[in-house]
Amino acid sequence: MSERIVLEARDVVKRFGAVTALGGVSFDLRAGEVHALCGENGAGKSTLIKLLAGVHPHGSYEGEIQVDGKTAEFHSTRDAERAGIAIIHQELALFPDMTVGENLFLGTFPQRFGRIDWDRVYAQSAATLADCGIQLDPAVRVGDLGLGQQQLVEIARAVGRKPQVLVLDEPTAALARHETDTLLDLVRRLRSRNVACVFISHKLDEVFAIADRITVLRDGCAQGTLTAAETDASEIIRRMVGRRIEDHYPRRQSTPGRTLLALRGVDVKAPGDGALALHGIELEARAGEVLGIGGLMGAGRTELLLHLMGLWGTRARGAVELNGRPLLARNPREALAQGLALVTEDRKRFGLVAQQGVTFNVSLSSLRSLRRGFFVDRDREAGHAKSIVEELRIKAQGLEQPVGTLSGGNQQKVVLGKMLLTQPKVLLLDEPTRGIDVGAKLEVYELINRLTAAGQAIVLVSSELGELLGMSDRIVMLCAGRIGGTFDRSEATQERLLAAAMGRLERAA
Amino acid sequence: MNRFATRELSMLVALLAIWAFFAWQEPVFLSARNLSLLSVELAVTAVLALGMLVVLLPGQIDLSAGSGVGLAGAVAAVLVFWHDVPAPVALLIAALGAVLVWSAMGALIAIERIPAFIMTLGGLLVFRGLHWLVIENQTVPVVVGGGQNVYSLLTTYYLPVVAGYALAGLAVVAIVASALAARRRRQSYGFAVDDGEITFLQLFALAQMVFLVVIVTNGYRGVPIALVILGLVAVLVHQLVTNTPFGRYLYAIGGNEEAAVVSGVPVRNAIIGAYALMGGVVALTGFMQTAYSGASTSTVGSLMELDAVAACVIGGTSLRGGRGTVLGVLFGALIMASLLNGMTLMAVSPEAKYIARGSVLALAVWLDLRLGKDR
Repeated sequence: MSERIVLEARDVVKRFGAVTALGGVSFDLRAGEVHALCGENGAGKSTLIKLLAGVHPHGSYEGEIQVDGKTAEFHSTRDAERAGIAIIHQELALFPDMTVGENLFLGTFPQRFGRIDWDRVYAQSAATLADCGIQLDPAVRVGDLGLGQQQLVEIARAVGRKPQVLVLDEPTAALARHETDTLLDLVRRLRSRNVACVFISHKLDEVFAIADRITVLRDGCAQGTLTAAETDASEIIRRMVGRRIEDHYPRRQSTPGRTLLALRGVDVKAPGDGALALHGIELEARAGEVLGIGGLMGAGRTELLLHLMGLWGTRARGAVELNGRPLLARNPREALAQGLALVTEDRKRFGLVAQQGVTFNVSLSSLRSLRRGFFVDRDREAGHAKSIVEELRIKAQGLEQPVGTLSGGNQQKVVLGKMLLTQPKVLLLDEPTRGIDVGAKLEVYELINRLTAAGQAIVLVSSELGELLGMSDRIVMLCAGRIGGTFDRSEATQERLLAAAMGRLERAA
Repeated sequence: MNRFATRELSMLVALLAIWAFFAWQEPVFLSARNLSLLSVELAVTAVLALGMLVVLLPGQIDLSAGSGVGLAGAVAAVLVFWHDVPAPVALLIAALGAVLVWSAMGALIAIERIPAFIMTLGGLLVFRGLHWLVIENQTVPVVVGGGQNVYSLLTTYYLPVVAGYALAGLAVVAIVASALAARRRRQSYGFAVDDGEITFLQLFALAQMVFLVVIVTNGYRGVPIALVILGLVAVLVHQLVTNTPFGRYLYAIGGNEEAAVVSGVPVRNAIIGAYALMGGVVALTGFMQTAYSGASTSTVGSLMELDAVAACVIGGTSLRGGRGTVLGVLFGALIMASLLNGMTLMAVSPEAKYIARGSVLALAVWLDLRLGKDR
């Protein structure tokens, strides 16, 4: 690692509407170093690299970005590319129906007499791949590769453009162990050629295996830059977590009433291949109770909720009862009509009509009950919307503000409000606090308390063990589509939940 | 809000520029007779465009509208002229047929997921072929022996002068009453309302426009019944898209279809409903357009779908769905109808007309993208 600083951000501030994503962050990157960015979801890592890559153009933020000591004004990602900054996003940007070689050279095909020189494309592709230590046939269709190999192709493509700075946003999230090793080797190889790398990962062992320096972000602020050799994982975690108020879970238990939702031996076939994806699911949610559902990625938590709403899979076996009656829902419309409501994890995609106002969104699921004759009763609709806005403390400039311009927390409240207006007996919440600020989280928890106190049942899916432990009365851990364990609040610990999620629960005790 | 105003204003300037240009080139453009004709042409274009709005809102499109116009008018004309069917019955049969066919297209689009563009492009060709088949490539008048019937009167009946004024008075009273009710409602919920003076000025300007239209058309033969039909369709569609669950569903589907599904919106039924409505509108436009030509010929309705789409887009409707208003579409239709009318007065060649129509369509989309960028 040299002392030459190739890329630097100085006191950058980036706001989205009322939300400050970055509150004055400084960050520098030296030639030939691997600089890791650590922080929880929503800490501002992605926003920072999007600034560096020109996704958020110059003028949309405060502060300064410098390349080789000179102020850079990126108006687009192309400007950043020209300055030698290559970024590899979490979502791959490959063309699955083209070969590896075509993907590597797309936009820069070598030509001969105006035709693409395919021999050179494949010869150079093979050379680039070999150079990166990737063993792949450049004539293979990218869509036929596994996710890990696709990730490597993506990196090879960026490397082929000889960047000065390479930004990797969670490159190993979808990779298997040996693929991760290949990738880390590749990063080391680039470092030895004096390429500067920004490396984002949630996996601290990887960070310590590769990084020279580590910058920790929390709530949009830098929490210090440390030399990897002089620190350890617990120090990084301490800085990532800080002292947070979301560690307070204000769960107020109420005495559970009768069973509102019951699943008995439910097997579900996945759409498409028809393989069984959920096996023998048994669970109950009672009135006034929060049932937590946890599990690792891919355990089937979200799929279970979507299945209940009639959005996913077909039931092969077993029965679902809602409020003592068999639940028959072929689509969300029928589920809502029977008293089951879902707040999805991806609220932008599945929850909101972004360009429409608060009232429109809040009333969307209950328009039929708001009718007077043929028409929507605008008076009652506005009244309901207003009471939801007040009850959930949605901060908006009037009821007609397009919800796409609200902050994440307020958007989530709009989705919650929409579902509450349908007066569900059982409310399914899929990661209800993901990506929203601390204050809004607390308000969601308070809302859960109020709803259970009023006799509703809540099913809370969360990947944060702390949230599950703090807010649930009972917890079911899923493991690869099966029940890994069911716990009362009193007997649940982080260790036991994790063991159940990994299918290693000891039956004793 | 500022952006919005920019857009509206630039469209108004465009309309005034078009009118000024034609008035300068052909002073007869502003004569009572021509304005009356223009209002009938506007009615035909605008009714179809309002149907198109309902289809565009959920992010769909109907390219078969123009040839559907020709076919519906042809079926009714053939029934009247060759089969001696009473005009009202003939119109009803053709209209029901159109609603059925469009519902079927809607079902194929919504349930079988055939892209609307392809489905209705197919419809365009099929209906054009059927149209020519039905009229056996002849000219089929809408009424026997130069008389009158409900069909021919669609574009040739004019309200008596007094009835015109009475209608204008009624319309103004209705508009003022609903505006005041809306204002009271907003106040009762504690929402901010515009300054009373501004509301008054807006209503006053609107009332003036209504009476101006009546005065001008009364200067020729009276208010054309076609214009009254347009008024009714406009009120109906406006109520439908803004104040019924069905209309909200259309905006929701166009805005974010996945979220609409999760929110329990009956996506399929709403899309089928939109096409069923379009079928009715296509039939109505077909009757008016054929009546305006006096007979069904092989060219009636040709390319009208593009005028309808252009009117919607000029009026601020998004082709991706989720955005669009009745008022905007009426405005867009007025621009399109004015252009066509003025060019006809100037005896512009058909070639040049096509080029002008196409350019305006592309220009409108481009303007929409430019002005809508930051929204």
